[in-house]
Amino acid sequence: MWVGLGGGLGSVLRWWIGRMVGERYKGHFPLGTFLINVSGSLVIGYLSVLFNVDWDNRHGHGMVLNALVITGVLGGYTTFSSMQLDAAQLAAKHHAPLAALYLLLSVAGGLLAALAGAALAATQR
Amino acid sequence: MKLRYAVLLVFIGGAVGAIAREILMLLVPTFAHGFPLDILVANVVASLLIGFSTARHNRKIINDGWHLMVTTGIMGGLSTFSSFAYATSVLMKASLSSALVAAAYVLISLTMGYIAVIIGMKIGGRSR
Repeated sequence: MWVGLGGGLGSVLRWWIGRMVGERYKGHFPLGTFLINVSGSLVIGYLSVLFNVDWDNRHGHGMVLNALVITGVLGGYTTFSSMQLDAAQLAAKHHAPLAALYLLLSVAGGLLAALAGAALAATQR
Repeated sequence: MKLRYAVLLVFIGGAVGAIAREILMLLVPTFAHGFPLDILVANVVASLLIGFSTARHNRKIINDGWHLMVTTGIMGGLSTFSSFAYATSVLMKASLSSALVAAAYVLISLTMGYIAVIIGMKIGGRSR
C-alpha cells in the first residue's frame, strides 16, 4: 500500500524531472537519468543512516518510512532499467564510448553520493 | 495527451512496478556473503522488459499512453538505482571480502542488465 503510493509519487517525480532536464539540455549524454540516480542515491544513504534502517530486513513489515520513502519514493524515482536502456540506445547510435562513460559515471557518482549521504547523516546523529 | 492523463499513467505504472519489486524482494533471498540477489533480479528483469516495451513502441505496436505507463512507470518503478548504489556502499564499507562481493555485484548487474536490454529489444523488435 505505502510502497505503491511512494512508487507512484517517485515515478511521477522522475518523469517530471526528466522532462525538465530534456527541455533544457539537448546533448547526447542522458543527463536527466544521471542526475536522478545520483540524487536518489544521496538521499537513500542519508535517510538510511539517519533513521538507522536495518538494511537486510527492510522489506515486508509495516514501517512507513521503509515502505513509503525508501522502497517506494526512492525506488520509483531512481531507475536502473532506464539507465541500461539509455546506454544501449547510445551504443546503437555509434556513441559506444559515451555509453560506457555514462554507465561508469552513474555507478561512481551513485556510489559516492550514497557514501556522502551516509557520512552526512552520521555527523548529525 | 493531456498532462493530467500522462501524470496518472506514470503514477499508476510506478505504483504497480514498486509493489512488484517489494513482492520480488520478499520472495528472492539475499545470497550468502550479502550479495543483493533480490535487487539484481528486479533490475535485470526490468531491463529485459524495458528493452522489449521500447522496441514494441518503436514499431508502433503499443501506443504512447501504454508506453508511458509500462516503460516509464512500471519498468522504472520495478528497477531501482538508489538501492543498488546504497547496497554496494554498505558492502564496500563492511570488510575486504564484502568489498569484493560489492565489486562483483556491480559488474554482474551492469553486464546482465545491459545484455537483458539488448535481448529485450531484439525480441520486441521482431514482427509478431
